[in-house]
Amino acid sequence: MTEAVEQVWIDPTDCHYPEYPAREAPTNAHLSHQVTWNETRAFKPRMHPVGRLRYYYKWPGHGGRLWWRKRYWPTRRRFLQIRGEYNPKTMRREKTIVDKRPIWWTLAFIALVLAPAIVPAAGWNTVMSAAAVFGIYSAINLCWMLIIGTAGIFSLASYAVVGAAAYGTTYLAIQFGLPFWLLPLLGALIGFAFGLIIGLPAMRLDGFYYALLTLGVVELCRVYVVQSREFGSATGGLYGAPSYLPASLGQMPRLLFSYYAALALMVFALFVYRFIDGKRLGRVLRMAPEKREAFAQACGVDFIRARIMVFLISSTALGFIGGFYATHFGGASPNLFSFDTVLLSLAMLVIGGIGRSEGAVAGTAIVVFIDRVLIDLGPLRYMLIGAIMLGVVLFLREGLFGIKRQFRTWRDKKKSERRATRAEKGGEMLPEEATETEDKDQIFFRRFDKMQRDFLKRLVTDTVIEEHRTRPLGQHSEALERLLIYFRRQGQVDKYAIMVLEEFKAYRIVALSGHRGTAPRVVEDRNYATPDEAYHALFLRRVQDLLES
Amino acid sequence: MNWSFVLSNAITLACIYGTLAIGISLTWSSLGLVNMAFGFIFAFSGYGAWLASVNIAPQPAVVMVAGILTGALGGLIVCLLAFIPIHDKPNFPLRALIATLAISLIGNQALLWYFGPRAKSLPRLFGSWNADIFGVVVTSDKLGASLSAVVLLTLILLWMRSSRRGLEIRAMMMNPHAASIVGIGVRRTGFYVMALTGSLAGLASVLLAQTYYVAPFSGITPMVKGLSIALVGGLGSVPGAVIGAVIIGLNEALTSTLLGGQYVLITQFLLIILVLLVRPRGIAGLLDKAREA
Repeated sequence: MTEAVEQVWIDPTDCHYPEYPAREAPTNAHLSHQVTWNETRAFKPRMHPVGRLRYYYKWPGHGGRLWWRKRYWPTRRRFLQIRGEYNPKTMRREKTIVDKRPIWWTLAFIALVLAPAIVPAAGWNTVMSAAAVFGIYSAINLCWMLIIGTAGIFSLASYAVVGAAAYGTTYLAIQFGLPFWLLPLLGALIGFAFGLIIGLPAMRLDGFYYALLTLGVVELCRVYVVQSREFGSATGGLYGAPSYLPASLGQMPRLLFSYYAALALMVFALFVYRFIDGKRLGRVLRMAPEKREAFAQACGVDFIRARIMVFLISSTALGFIGGFYATHFGGASPNLFSFDTVLLSLAMLVIGGIGRSEGAVAGTAIVVFIDRVLIDLGPLRYMLIGAIMLGVVLFLREGLFGIKRQFRTWRDKKKSERRATRAEKGGEMLPEEATETEDKDQIFFRRFDKMQRDFLKRLVTDTVIEEHRTRPLGQHSEALERLLIYFRRQGQVDKYAIMVLEEFKAYRIVALSGHRGTAPRVVEDRNYATPDEAYHALFLRRVQDLLES
Repeated sequence: MNWSFVLSNAITLACIYGTLAIGISLTWSSLGLVNMAFGFIFAFSGYGAWLASVNIAPQPAVVMVAGILTGALGGLIVCLLAFIPIHDKPNFPLRALIATLAISLIGNQALLWYFGPRAKSLPRLFGSWNADIFGVVVTSDKLGASLSAVVLLTLILLWMRSSRRGLEIRAMMMNPHAASIVGIGVRRTGFYVMALTGSLAGLASVLLAQTYYVAPFSGITPMVKGLSIALVGGLGSVPGAVIGAVIIGLNEALTSTLLGGQYVLITQFLLIILVLLVRPRGIAGLLDKAREA
């Protein structure tokens, strides 16, 4: 507080009396308020690179058709979930697209439809057959995702359903010479029956018991198919189902046609997913998440029935896909039941994220690409898939599509940690307070006040106090004048006043409470003989209050 | 059809599968981890035993010890990858299940990559002789496998009963949270449990390799059998696993004599489903004391 170099202040009003020597007083060195301003505005806290805040683009709102919204015809759903609001500053109407997933889906569909155009001719066969496999597998995985994610039944037997339908339809087609379009329908029947059989224990069993049991069922199917003669134990699979491809097509159009057919199958599966997950059944099941089932049941949510319904519907869809599989590949192979197939498709689900349709499709795309296109890697590609799966399970909570949420959770954690370490705020608003304050002027006022007080605290020195003691009223040096102006104008912690006990003999400092009818509070047990002493004592009190603020 | 032959066969298999089932059961009940990498540990320790028999000496003791040690090593690997990083994270049981499946995928492919698809055979540990027990002729490998499985299992169960580490493991089985409160390290106990169950898998692998071969994917079927036995007996219960092993072995013997070998799995799963429909937590598993998360 004390300055090393003694500054001398010369009273400027003394020029009115040139006959007398000018009055001088020791004072502070000039301290520009800009210094405090710069110090306060400087950005001191250590920032972590945690990305920006959630940002929505604000589309201009339409004035004339304020509430115009287009809907899908038979439903009451809108194409995009758009939130309309008024900008509180400009009072202009704005739109925010809350859920942009339909846009991404549409773009992805366009990309998938146009994809064959950019496939290089050298790898046409490999890539196009892999793409068809991608369509079929993603359809299977979508239905499986319904069982695992929506219904919460951890079943590993969906490939058993697909395989049973594929084998059954191929067998029937060979026996009775059925046309190709009948196979998916037959497969749906077989899938329904199969789902009924393996869905029965799911009513009683707990998650893991059911998972292990279904794993056993898959193994049972594999061993049965490998051993039984009529399902082709000798030829390594059952082949001879009619194909949906016209016989006259050449090689390239055949692949193209089968790709689009598989894509159509995927779209069908997406519709199934959407019409179960997004509708009443899915809602019911989302109301009964894991471990809160008893509560949901007590509330009247019949989630067991919903589970069985979802299981049966998706088993039927899986059977349909199995029939399609038979016509697509011309039969079925015991490969469908192998442990590795279950593992790979579980990897597809896990990589994308369990419980979301885009996760199933994207995970299938990744795994099928590694498995079918990077064939040159050999067994290494399975290890690559396994490594990705392991990494996703160990580091991500909900797969690739849950990264955004996980990152936000982590960022919020970091933010609150940083907030907790910041103890002193000195009257300024914390960011979270600031965002919640309606009157933004308050924020700037408080910040300005803080800076002003910081500046004034540095002006309080012994010389200034000494100057005030010698001359409480009258011409002051700049530092003292600034302090006094602040005290005069600013809201104070205590409103001090000088009470005259006896004229020119006894003065006392009191504090006014601000409540009418309440007597002034005596601040200190001391009487001052002159008004100047009382002024100075009051000044000291205010300085103390300022330094303590 | 030779009844005694089938019966002795079934008992041998039941001993080996029971060993696996006890391992699976122990892991699940103490760590809350369904170890789907058991098949990989099985194959891994088979290859470990094979390497020891080729590189060190084809002595029975060497081969068996090598198999058990590699099994323990495999268990430790699984523990390091699938238990330590995520055991305190949300949604642990499901994530651990998937992580062990991923380990099994990677491990089996690595074995296939390194050793090739051709099956290896271990030397005969118990020689080749026959014993006549009450008129039933038993071959040496069956008798040796059953006896060594029973002896080693008994030793392990005694160890579980009496030693300090066994006490810790049993405390974890009862209530992991309370165990960690009274100072039993969850991670340290996890290492013990996984090493123990891994060595059980190694033992089963060495014993089963007397009848079958060591191949990259040879672990899947025994694992599924062990899982089904553990399911029938009730996950987390050692006597249940023994009862389950006996029941499944009897079923296998009866089915293959009365109906034929290809119906074994079908009757087995029908039996499992029936048992589970009556008792959803298996024969000896308790619904109330079931481990939660």
